[in-house]
Amino acid sequence: MKRYRTTKKDNIFPLKIEELEKKLNEEFDQNPDLSVTTYENKNKKALIFYITYQVEGEKVENYLLETLLKKDFEWNNSTILNEIPLSSGKTIDKFSDIGKGLLIGNLYVYIENENSAIEYSLSNKENRSLQQSETESVVLGPKIGFTESMVTNLNIIRWTIRSEDLVLEKFIIGEREPREVRLIYIKSLANEADINTFRQRLQELEIDVIDDSSVLLQYIEDSSLTIFPQFFTTELPDRFSYDINRGRIGVIVENSPTAIVAPTTFFSFFQSTEDLYMRWNIGSFLRSLRFLSFFLSTILTPLYVAAVTFHYEIIPTPLLVNLGESRAAVPFPPILEALILELMIELLRESGARLPTKIGQTIGIVGGVVVGTAAVQAGITSNVLIIFVALSALASFTAPNYLMGTTARIIRFPMIILGGLLGLVGLVFGISFLIIHLLRLTSLGRPYLSPLYPLVWEDFNKAFFRLPPQFHNMRFKSYRPKDIFRFNKGKSKIKKDIDE
Amino acid sequence: MDINVKVKENLQIRPFYLFFIITSIQIGIGILGFPKIVYQEALQDSWISILFTFFYIVAVVIVMFMILNQYKNADIYGIQVDIFGKWIGKILGTIYILYFGITLFSILITYMEVVRISIFPSISNLALGGLLLCLVVYSVLGGIRVVVGVCTLFFLGTQWLFLLLIQPAMEVDFTHLQPMFVTPFPDLLEGAKVSSYTFMGFELLLVIYPFIKNKKKAKLPTFLAVSWSTITILLLTMLVIGYFSHNQILRREWALLGLFKIQNFTFIERFDYVVVTEWMLVIITNMILLMWAMTYGMKRLYNISQKTTLYLISIILLIACIFVDEHFQIQKVIDTSSQIGLWIVYVYPFFLLPIVLFKKRKQRKKEKKHAK
Repeated sequence: MKRYRTTKKDNIFPLKIEELEKKLNEEFDQNPDLSVTTYENKNKKALIFYITYQVEGEKVENYLLETLLKKDFEWNNSTILNEIPLSSGKTIDKFSDIGKGLLIGNLYVYIENENSAIEYSLSNKENRSLQQSETESVVLGPKIGFTESMVTNLNIIRWTIRSEDLVLEKFIIGEREPREVRLIYIKSLANEADINTFRQRLQELEIDVIDDSSVLLQYIEDSSLTIFPQFFTTELPDRFSYDINRGRIGVIVENSPTAIVAPTTFFSFFQSTEDLYMRWNIGSFLRSLRFLSFFLSTILTPLYVAAVTFHYEIIPTPLLVNLGESRAAVPFPPILEALILELMIELLRESGARLPTKIGQTIGIVGGVVVGTAAVQAGITSNVLIIFVALSALASFTAPNYLMGTTARIIRFPMIILGGLLGLVGLVFGISFLIIHLLRLTSLGRPYLSPLYPLVWEDFNKAFFRLPPQFHNMRFKSYRPKDIFRFNKGKSKIKKDIDE
Repeated sequence: MDINVKVKENLQIRPFYLFFIITSIQIGIGILGFPKIVYQEALQDSWISILFTFFYIVAVVIVMFMILNQYKNADIYGIQVDIFGKWIGKILGTIYILYFGITLFSILITYMEVVRISIFPSISNLALGGLLLCLVVYSVLGGIRVVVGVCTLFFLGTQWLFLLLIQPAMEVDFTHLQPMFVTPFPDLLEGAKVSSYTFMGFELLLVIYPFIKNKKKAKLPTFLAVSWSTITILLLTMLVIGYFSHNQILRREWALLGLFKIQNFTFIERFDYVVVTEWMLVIITNMILLMWAMTYGMKRLYNISQKTTLYLISIILLIACIFVDEHFQIQKVIDTSSQIGLWIVYVYPFFLLPIVLFKKRKQRKKEKKHAK
């Protein structure tokens, strides 16, 4: 791998305390936060250095300095490791590692003329406490969300997935700012080929810094030209463990509350863990509702535009009269009318997302009710279109994944233009193009439209509906898990005759 | 070139997809105008003609399987080279490709005519042709897997259209089918002959066969597919004959479209608009399969990359469709393609089979001699 910063001579030990002090000051450009202190005992000198606010000061005083200065013993590496009551001590002999370690809150002790320094990991990281996830909200089920801290996230994952087979492979990605990335899967479930693909993509990534897991995702996904997300992102440990337990592979990144899951299919973006927590019939209904919403959200406004512009024959007369009345005062062609309204809704959404929650609600009311009513009264748009646009905006928010919801809204614009230019022909062209596009997509090399194509009948009951539990005794065949059976279907229900 | 094709594991398709491939290519644009054509020849006994065609097709498919099974993993391009030698084999292969091309072109311009007459009188051939070919190019670029996927999904996505015929089906007058068995036999045969154009497309089996994963299971889906499309076409024809009177059928170019106008709901009527546009999906599967067969054939015969052929043919088709927009020209293209198809699809396999069998037997004898 190519390094951006050339490392200087790395093995500098052993050396005099004064030399090390000088070198540290050089390297860190007289950093005022770098605390470098020399202590002396029985003609042995020790240098302790760390960055003040990165380290837990209490531990430094209570355990390190207390023992070092008050206990009477000969200072050398092995005695220090033995005497100081801190568990994380280890020896380090590369100067570049020390440089990196200081930045993530390590403390170093160097005894004069020793061959290596001792490292204590005492990092003091400021974290937000565990909170409910803001982007994905659920009514039923666990609501805790991932945080920005890797340690917390790993902790949550270990508590939610208590499998002995859980593997958390560690990668360090980023040339300038190395970040820890974890590849998480259950060894006895996840498909070997998929793990290798994922691992290879992570290993081959050469980048200066990954800003967030959503950015990492864009570097490693199959196709970057498409509008459809190919990897699932979630902030809910609950959803994460649901996927991992079904043989998928997850990734979490340091400093990012978003976890990545792959391989995914188009349909998994409409599944929510809530479907499982609900009764099966309610879950099935809600899931079908989401599919329907995606379809409506992309098709409703364009259909209106196409019908009103070119094919008013397909609208029955009573309906057409209504429509004509509401459109009579509108001076724009339908395509322009629809685009203006859609843009307005997008404006509202975007401003609502940027503003603080309380003001956001006000803006929603002002924008939605006031502007909407005024637009109709001013004769800029028709009532019917307002209903359609509002409905399709609502529909787009039903997707449990925020990325997919946004996709649904954005696709609508080219569809409106196609419908406005070529009517139904344009619309069918658009839909065909989308289907072909989805067929061509892959996620981690697995087909994106599975189980619809390639047809996997066994997965239909899990991907599209949520049948009673005894039908869920197999994992998704589309993801090719190593072990497909979850439980024995026969034993889960014993058949009885009428009067027994 | 190799006679047998080595197909990579990830490009192979499961045999049941043959059902979708064969049905999607058999049911195409022809079905819209088909009832009139066959009615002209066989009148109310058209269904007998269709059944004749069906049995003949079953025979042809059996012959095709017999030819294909003589080889390990070969397609028609390879077999012809093996039988007739390099030069004649390649010429025959090229004829196949040209035939696919003409069929593709006839489908394209017929659909454009349907759209022009029933929805958009003013739409330019260039725009519509460009859109359709754009979809074709985009999906063929995805390779065989995407091509088969488009067939499968578009097949599943268009079957609901036939539900719209329930209302007219309720109003069918069965006396239109009576008296039965009055059409003379030659007319029935003539009816079967004109039906052949609609049923064409299953010859694609000769090209796609090496890509099938489990060849032993390929027969069932193929016969199911042929039966499915026959039943569809048969029912639709009976429906048209039962619903419209003698004169009404003869006056309508696309009688089937007329049937779709009957159904209406409180929020939408004139379903013929929906059907014509939705029929685009049916057309696209046809075009994609033919285009794929052409590009693949060029690669097999002349080692030209599939992408080059794909772009080249699309541009040629696009330019050609600008000039063909009169009804008689379109009819001429259809007639030509059905004439060539009749010989290539329905007659040629029966000639090919004995030659293949003879050659293979000779080869086996030779091998036995060597073994001794």
